[in-house]
Amino acid sequence: MFRKSDLPHLSRREWLKLSAAGFAASSSSGWIERVAAETAKSPQRKKAVILLWMNGGPTQTDTFDMKPGHANGGPFKEVQTSAPGLKICEHLPTVAKFGDKMAVVRSMSTKEGDHGRATFLMRTGYLPQGPIQYPTLGSLVSKEIGNPDNPLPNFVSIAPYRQFSPAAFNSGFLGPQYAPLVVGDALQQFQPQGQAGYNENALKVQDLDLPADVDPRHADARIDLLKDMEDDFVKARPGVAARSHQTAYERAVKLMKTAAGKAFNLEEEKDSVRDKYGKNLFGQGCLLARRLVERGVPFVEVTLGGIVGGGFGWDTHANNFDQVKGLCGVLDPAWGQLMTDLKERGLLDSTLIVWMGEFGRTPVINQSRGRDHYPNAWATVMVGGGIKGGQAVGKTSAGGETVEERPVSVGDFLATVVAAVGVDPTKQNNSNVGRPIRIAEPTAKVIKEVL
Amino acid sequence: MRFRWFGALGTGLCCLSLLASGASLRAAPKEAGPEKVLDAYALATRIDAHIKVKWDQNKVTPTRPADDAEFLRRISLDLIGRIPTVTELHDFLDGPSPDKRRKVIEEMLGLRPSVKYAVHGYVGHFTVVWRDLLVPQGLGNNQFAPQFAQQMESWLTKRILDNAGYDTLVRDLLTAEPYGNRGSGRQPGPVNPADRSAIAFYQANENKPENVAATVSRLFLGVKLECAQCHDHPFNRYSRSQFWELAAFFSGLTPQGARPRQPGAFQGFDPTRKQIKIVGTERVVEAKFLDGKAPKFEEGADVRTVLADWIVAPENPYFSKAAVNYVWAQFFGVGITDPVDEPSDDNPPSHPELLDELARQFALNKYDLKYLIKAITASRAYQLSSVLTHPTQQDARLFAVVQLKGMAPEQLLRSLNLAVGNLEGASRFPQGFRGRPGFNTMAFELRNKFANYSDKKTAYQTSILQALALMNGKLTADATSLTRSGTLAAVANSHFLDTEGKLNALFLATLSRKMKPNEAARLVRYVDGGGPSKDNDKALADVFWTLLNSSEFILNH
Repeated sequence: MFRKSDLPHLSRREWLKLSAAGFAASSSSGWIERVAAETAKSPQRKKAVILLWMNGGPTQTDTFDMKPGHANGGPFKEVQTSAPGLKICEHLPTVAKFGDKMAVVRSMSTKEGDHGRATFLMRTGYLPQGPIQYPTLGSLVSKEIGNPDNPLPNFVSIAPYRQFSPAAFNSGFLGPQYAPLVVGDALQQFQPQGQAGYNENALKVQDLDLPADVDPRHADARIDLLKDMEDDFVKARPGVAARSHQTAYERAVKLMKTAAGKAFNLEEEKDSVRDKYGKNLFGQGCLLARRLVERGVPFVEVTLGGIVGGGFGWDTHANNFDQVKGLCGVLDPAWGQLMTDLKERGLLDSTLIVWMGEFGRTPVINQSRGRDHYPNAWATVMVGGGIKGGQAVGKTSAGGETVEERPVSVGDFLATVVAAVGVDPTKQNNSNVGRPIRIAEPTAKVIKEVL
Repeated sequence: MRFRWFGALGTGLCCLSLLASGASLRAAPKEAGPEKVLDAYALATRIDAHIKVKWDQNKVTPTRPADDAEFLRRISLDLIGRIPTVTELHDFLDGPSPDKRRKVIEEMLGLRPSVKYAVHGYVGHFTVVWRDLLVPQGLGNNQFAPQFAQQMESWLTKRILDNAGYDTLVRDLLTAEPYGNRGSGRQPGPVNPADRSAIAFYQANENKPENVAATVSRLFLGVKLECAQCHDHPFNRYSRSQFWELAAFFSGLTPQGARPRQPGAFQGFDPTRKQIKIVGTERVVEAKFLDGKAPKFEEGADVRTVLADWIVAPENPYFSKAAVNYVWAQFFGVGITDPVDEPSDDNPPSHPELLDELARQFALNKYDLKYLIKAITASRAYQLSSVLTHPTQQDARLFAVVQLKGMAPEQLLRSLNLAVGNLEGASRFPQGFRGRPGFNTMAFELRNKFANYSDKKTAYQTSILQALALMNGKLTADATSLTRSGTLAAVANSHFLDTEGKLNALFLATLSRKMKPNEAARLVRYVDGGGPSKDNDKALADVFWTLLNSSEFILNH
């Protein structure tokens, strides 16, 4: 993380030396030109990503790669989406209306079946390796396409459940300025929200409001006093640490004092709208995601880990079908309404929605009517963002156990996600171990038929 | 011949970067008689001599020395992990002794009897320092990371309290029982609990021979091997083999191909195994030192012990260099080789002769960490000010001005606790608050919020949520409340103090100094005017808020 930038002398030279080979090699892949050309076509269009993170590993067989008629298939039926030939689960009827905007990747093939390591892998693109602090996808993307002048943060993480792999939710070697602003995180979720009840404060930014007994006029005076203190101190002592402190305070004050902070105030929305999303953490999280994207935030992630709140509800080792039906009951209205709202506002074609978890689940149903961890063959989804919809990428065998066509690796998938919003997956960031590391791992290839 | 010891490795290994620069490998060592053992203060003088050579070469005008208040704040944060108390500060400033800086260093290190400083200040802080090296916070990719940190703390605390030599510490770690239970999975191992908790080091590396080898090589030899693990380097077909030959020393930890399991789960530990298959190939290699020499294994020898003996041998200069460089970076924020864990020919040390001399003296002084710390902190370079006074001071690697360092969360919270006088849950620092059940305290939340994943203290950055927590969070709200605060209420109610006296009391409690004249002019006027609501006490609270939120408080300088 900028470990060289405070040493202007040695650093730049070394940095160039280090990365010259990498850059030269990267420009031959040809996709950069294509993205550049596309960006040129509509230079105004600002893209964004909304990641719907399905914590615990969602079953593909009961959602997006169904096997009706096969012993592995389970009781759910397939329904036709708005795209001819593309079928998904009956419990996702609203989502199905957007089949024409949707690319379902049915040939995800990864090698990690442990929650922690797989979460790290899917969210950073790399397996945990020694001391390297790989940044999470949202940090990588928002660093590239975020607007530093937006009073809102460029990366917001809604209701994350970070226990499986805390580092997979962080900005790693990119540093705290690319860390997500987290709302509704697990610490708050420990507080019971009740089955039906939704805690109105769950998605507020922590500490954004002045303490009750502080006079707002005094709060303003404090900021002025602080400016004087900071100017004196930093003028005499240049350095990354003090500059970063100042920047963070400036952004925090902006968030408090401008209208931007109101993005988090869901009470501004009509009750009817809020109800359509579902009065639960994920539903209201998707509503918040829409409000943030409308205001220029380029990366928002919303975690669905359980019907009432955080957890790993998709980890359906037992009683899979009841649980998945319940989860779809939360997922479908929220995701569906999110797409409906974005489409109405003309934002769906510039907002890529990604649906994924850390792995899939066994096509074979176990003795507890559950499905276990399965990274060999599983599914992820991309919708909107100007991708080529109405298609399924790849194919699994009749029972879903193996990938039969076009295997897609983690790197391929993440490269496609970032490329879809105009980011070069071969771009390198300097890491905490002094060598540059690509956004997507070097062997990754974008899924061309989707872009 | 000690510098030829690693010679075979120094040539042509692109992926294997060495701590030693090309220069120090080429430079013939002075072998004229045994080297003189220097005491810490003599070594401090040598440090300054080496640094001055570079200043002269680069026509650098160093900054002024730190004043006593500046020095005490820095040394307190660096040695005992918190800002000084107001009493400590007064005692120090009023102390007439000309060598009071050396005395206070020795007191904090427990090398001199002290009524003020108990040795667990040092022990607690350096437990955190070494913990972060051995099981870095970046290991947050593992859901058990908080347990590892806690276990590592208990293992380290005992050794730091005993001031174990660094060679002993590393040897103990490398030969520690890697599982709580051996054999049946039921019987406790033959070691005491504090020793057993070294298993955290192995678990943090997933008990995988290749992970442990990469970590051991990086931390204790300053040789970065990770890349040789996966890539068959086109320019050197030996590098990958060499990596796996090192990994073979740890092949007894877990049978290859076993899946990572819960902490403590027995997976077939065999301390005598010394062969490993290079992953992705069918080739099996046997344990060999990094210099290519094959160890002589006795029948039934514990292979990790053989490796540990080789690593910590005084003839191995890389062990000592990696250690002194890390300790140096702790205090200066910048290593002599920097980044500390990326030594290579492309990244030579700034002061190779200094690094060599420190490493040799560290070894000659039995790897005594307190000796090394005493020498570094007694140097003029460490005791410079952090105020930039001349443009030639800008290159951090010339050590002509002290760099700003971010605080570890433990340092920040203990300092906050002292400054505000009432932080809930803070008394449990530094040990045990991390990941322990029942952690719903404000301290635990702040600890999580202020975790910094940078291993470079000069590059610490502040996040928006950190800023908001300090601006509007409960801690600050309580600290600046005239009814709920400790420090503020005491100062506000000190009717024997005038406004300037009150303000100075708040400055001393937070920034460990009195106001400067320009600050006094500004702030006395503000407080006497009462701010927007014409309330003197509220205006005083505003100043306290400002001090707690300032860079000068949050950073170590």
